[in-house]
Amino acid sequence: MARVGEDDERAFAELVRRFQGRVMNLVSRVLNDRECGDDIAQEVFVRVFVHRRNYRRGSKFSTWLFTIAANLAKNEIRRRVRRRNWFSLNALQEILKDSAIQLADPTEGRESRMEREQLQEAMGRAIATVPEKYRLALVLRDIDGLTYEEIAEVLGIPGGTVRSRINRARGMLKRKLIPLLRREGEP
Amino acid sequence: MKCAQAVRLFGAYWDDETTQAEREWVEAHLASCASCRQEYEAFTRTLELVGSLPRVEPAPDLVERVLSRARRVAPAPDLVPARNRRWIPVTATAALTLIAGLLALPWLGVRNEARRETATRVVGEREPARLGPVADHSAPSLPAPAGGAPPAAGQGLVAAAGTAAVPDSLFDHSEDIEFILDPVKLQRGRATVTRPPAVQGEKAVISF
Repeated sequence: MARVGEDDERAFAELVRRFQGRVMNLVSRVLNDRECGDDIAQEVFVRVFVHRRNYRRGSKFSTWLFTIAANLAKNEIRRRVRRRNWFSLNALQEILKDSAIQLADPTEGRESRMEREQLQEAMGRAIATVPEKYRLALVLRDIDGLTYEEIAEVLGIPGGTVRSRINRARGMLKRKLIPLLRREGEP
Repeated sequence: MKCAQAVRLFGAYWDDETTQAEREWVEAHLASCASCRQEYEAFTRTLELVGSLPRVEPAPDLVERVLSRARRVAPAPDLVPARNRRWIPVTATAALTLIAGLLALPWLGVRNEARRETATRVVGEREPARLGPVADHSAPSLPAPAGGAPPAAGQGLVAAAGTAAVPDSLFDHSEDIEFILDPVKLQRGRATVTRPPAVQGEKAVISF
């Protein structure tokens, strides 16, 4: 990052290559939208480049990067809420129902690729129904694997709040997935 | 109550952030409570599903697109203080100049004030101008010029108005010399004296 701050384009390209997967994964999972995630990931790195001289040396780069990504994802969620372009809970229930039927037979060998994809889609949509502030903490913890301390820094909230948000998000997610989990557990 | 406590600890237990005592307590409770065991299984299955979601891979051209856009944008202004603080000497110089100016101001102000006061007083005292013929120059206070001749035209070129600026308390003006100046016409850089038919002149006062 120090080299990026000195306008080293090759260093910046290397930095993008190294972190693009994690940023893309974070914003795509938070938004449950791959195309939008691609745009946001691009915007994240452009902002890193624009504000490269404001990066505080000594602080962890990934934390700074995730802070930018989380903020842009939050902005996008709020923009969608304003435009009322969010998918409905009914649509989620339909998908969960379909996925549960597909998973009626939990035998690993018979699980087709399509079934897995449907399950993943259902999971993605279930995550997307969790309120924004809980969702970000959940994705940062359970998908991107950040520590509680890192999440606290990224979101700018105390560690205790991070814990409670993650717990609540997990609880919400579990309740949403109960139909799917019950079907999956049936003989 | 015990079940509620156990459910609250599920997250910490999953993240391995419980104390030894909490962990043992949760495990003992799960072993004895079927309901909480089922609840915990659903909890862990949910997190396993979340964790098993495939990584969303970025598009292959993301790096190129980012670089292309980055080349077109200007960097944001530097908000982090730079190490070479060039503003310090500039600011220090400006501050010193200001302080020096402020310190010198009273002294300059007193002198200017004194000059203004003196000038007002002198001008007021000498207001009745004595414009008149050349003969007036033989006033008692006027020393006779060399050869006894009246001052030649053009000799009294210099007229000083500085008298008014000198305080009376320091200088005695009783010996002031007054010159009557002949009109001088400047043509192409040369001064030519044009004698008027009658004596005309302007008064100037030089004080020493």
